[in-house]
Amino acid sequence: MIELENVSYTYPHTVQKALHQISLSLPKGKCIMVTGPSGAGKTTLCLAAAGILYHEYGGKKEGRVNLEGKDIAGFAGLSELAKKIGIVFDDAEAQMIFTTVEEEILSALEHRGLDAREIEERYASIMTTAYLAELQNRSPHNLSGGQKQRVALAATLALGNDILILDEPTSELDEHATTRIVEILHALKTQGKTILLIEHKFRHFVKMVDILVVMENGKISAAGTPDEVLRNEQMRKIVTADFSDFRADPAHQMNIQKKPQEPVISVRDLSFTYGEIPALGSINLTIGSGEFLAIVGENGSGKTTLVKHFNGLLLPTNGDVFVKGINTKTCSIADLARHVGLVFQNPDHMFFADTVGEEVAFGLHNMGMTYDTDTINRTLNEVGLLHTKALYPRWLSRGERQRLAIACVIAMRPEILVLDEPTTGLDGNEARLVMDTLKNFQLKGHTVVIITHNHDIADYCADRVIRMEKGRIISDSNGMVN
Amino acid sequence: MAEILAYVHKKGLFHNLHPFTKILFILLFGTMAILSTNIVFLSVLIVVILFLAYCANLGPEVMQQFRLIVIMSVVLIGITIITMPGGENLGYLIPAIIPVIGGNIQVTTGAIDFGIVLTLRFMILICAFQLFVISTQPRDIVHTMERMRIPIDYTLMFLIALRFIPTLQIEGKRIHEAQLARGFNPGSGFIGKIKSVAPIVIPLVSNALARANVLGLTIDIRGYRTQIRTRLREFSFKKRDYFTVGLLVIAGCGYIFLIIHQII
Repeated sequence: MIELENVSYTYPHTVQKALHQISLSLPKGKCIMVTGPSGAGKTTLCLAAAGILYHEYGGKKEGRVNLEGKDIAGFAGLSELAKKIGIVFDDAEAQMIFTTVEEEILSALEHRGLDAREIEERYASIMTTAYLAELQNRSPHNLSGGQKQRVALAATLALGNDILILDEPTSELDEHATTRIVEILHALKTQGKTILLIEHKFRHFVKMVDILVVMENGKISAAGTPDEVLRNEQMRKIVTADFSDFRADPAHQMNIQKKPQEPVISVRDLSFTYGEIPALGSINLTIGSGEFLAIVGENGSGKTTLVKHFNGLLLPTNGDVFVKGINTKTCSIADLARHVGLVFQNPDHMFFADTVGEEVAFGLHNMGMTYDTDTINRTLNEVGLLHTKALYPRWLSRGERQRLAIACVIAMRPEILVLDEPTTGLDGNEARLVMDTLKNFQLKGHTVVIITHNHDIADYCADRVIRMEKGRIISDSNGMVN
Repeated sequence: MAEILAYVHKKGLFHNLHPFTKILFILLFGTMAILSTNIVFLSVLIVVILFLAYCANLGPEVMQQFRLIVIMSVVLIGITIITMPGGENLGYLIPAIIPVIGGNIQVTTGAIDFGIVLTLRFMILICAFQLFVISTQPRDIVHTMERMRIPIDYTLMFLIALRFIPTLQIEGKRIHEAQLARGFNPGSGFIGKIKSVAPIVIPLVSNALARANVLGLTIDIRGYRTQIRTRLREFSFKKRDYFTVGLLVIAGCGYIFLIIHQII
């Protein structure tokens, strides 16, 4: 269906090639999964395969992409290509055009030349299969990241294209929603659809992947059947992160078995409502000093809402939250930030400085802490980013930006570090680097709380796992959520 | 979080009207607001709009912007006092008892009158436009603009502008929270706003620009530019629309009558 022949591409105003001599064939009815570190060229590969590079982008293009035997540059434009190829980009929010979920999906169907009855049928079908019926009148901008991804995917799947190009369609989805999407895509593949998938969740997609491609630095490092690629140890580390050795670590075992420590966070009968919508109810939780706590649960279960109470960004509607014995209702966010560092899911919400070094210094300056070049260097070294100190933060890859966000917060040495899905969109190696940083931080006596959808991380890295559902804690255990 | 200028899913008077009827409503009220300088008449117009908003079950949403309108009013009246003195002198903006600079900048009846007129005009335009936007799905706005033969590029520009208002609002809040979590405390008031510019506005603009590229591609890929469209769940002109248009025509004629007889 799609064939890339020696494709190289350099973005305008840059020197380094984003794609370098890529040759890849996407046969009809097959699923190719492309994985690799952030900045490896996976998204650029998607743009090339969808013809977008040839119709919408400048830059230097070499080689050729064929769609059904015809040069993709020869098609009339995106409108013509879109009849054959359905594409979902990695930024779900950017694909939300309208103000209700219903409008978002219907308006996509209305421009396909279908009759009204077929549109209504397709709409009803996709709303059921993507579990969107309850959300149909909600504003897409107010949905959780995972819910937005489901809407973006549904809007494309409803179009019924024969070729699907999906750039990390499940990165923000919970286990249940990911499994559901895998089932839907598997069924589509069985119906003869051709799928090019950029993903990091290889284990979820293992049954439907025919060809596994690993990309690094704009080149294909390995391509073949999953078994062939995974025989190589280095490739295996990129494709699947292995955290099992964390649990085998004696220090980790000691943390799990040790007696409860002095509480650093106490949540008592917490309930919270957004306007009239209840988000949390009857939460009681005590987090001990030096603990590594993982919070798991489906999208929209209240995980982020709960952790925003830890540094006073949200205040309880009822109940109390105490941080180091201080009631968050009586303390400013700036003062709580001395005790609790919160790293949000999207690192790009933080960065504004001209260099990585200045970005790290911002928090220290806010806190009135004394610091020098050594302080900044030491912090950057902890997250493996010392070599990027003079670079513009937004030039870094997604994995590096994620680690920089962590560095910005750990530089302030908070006793408690809270992270909202810190490994989203990262490959195995990058996720491992992030978790190494966090485990080291814990070993230095700090408390770490992470929100994650990755059960391996919860199982192997955390001393304690709490599961949330519909705004409540439904289980609290010493790891092993599966 | 309540979004600014985003469609509100409710049932009510305005939601049931055809978008074209609502566009006529904006045009009539906008024209009357711009052409009139009579404070009583402009006040009546704003009362009518607020009354309609409450009848249409959209009162709280329209009142949500009131704080902004009050700030804007103070600024507008302040500017007219400084730049357009006229009429009777009521006093001084800088009281005479302040040494050296006291007794400067006259506060005149003419400037206050004009400031109030400007404020009421803006209130009418903002509230009428808000009533239209929060009661009409963007999809219906696009379809109506298409039928009005407005070029697709202008329609899409309008759609994107509308779409980015709530996005920027939500994104701004997230960025603000992320910076607060880093101990950022710009303080309140004007100085606080100035200090917030770099840590909040730079990420906001950078993220919006990055997003605009994907949004543009999505619009093209979904075929909005092709203008081939199946007409589905579209508003038809109903009795209530004819009735409303009739009322608007009568109101327009009434306005012309008042103008001709120099009553306002």
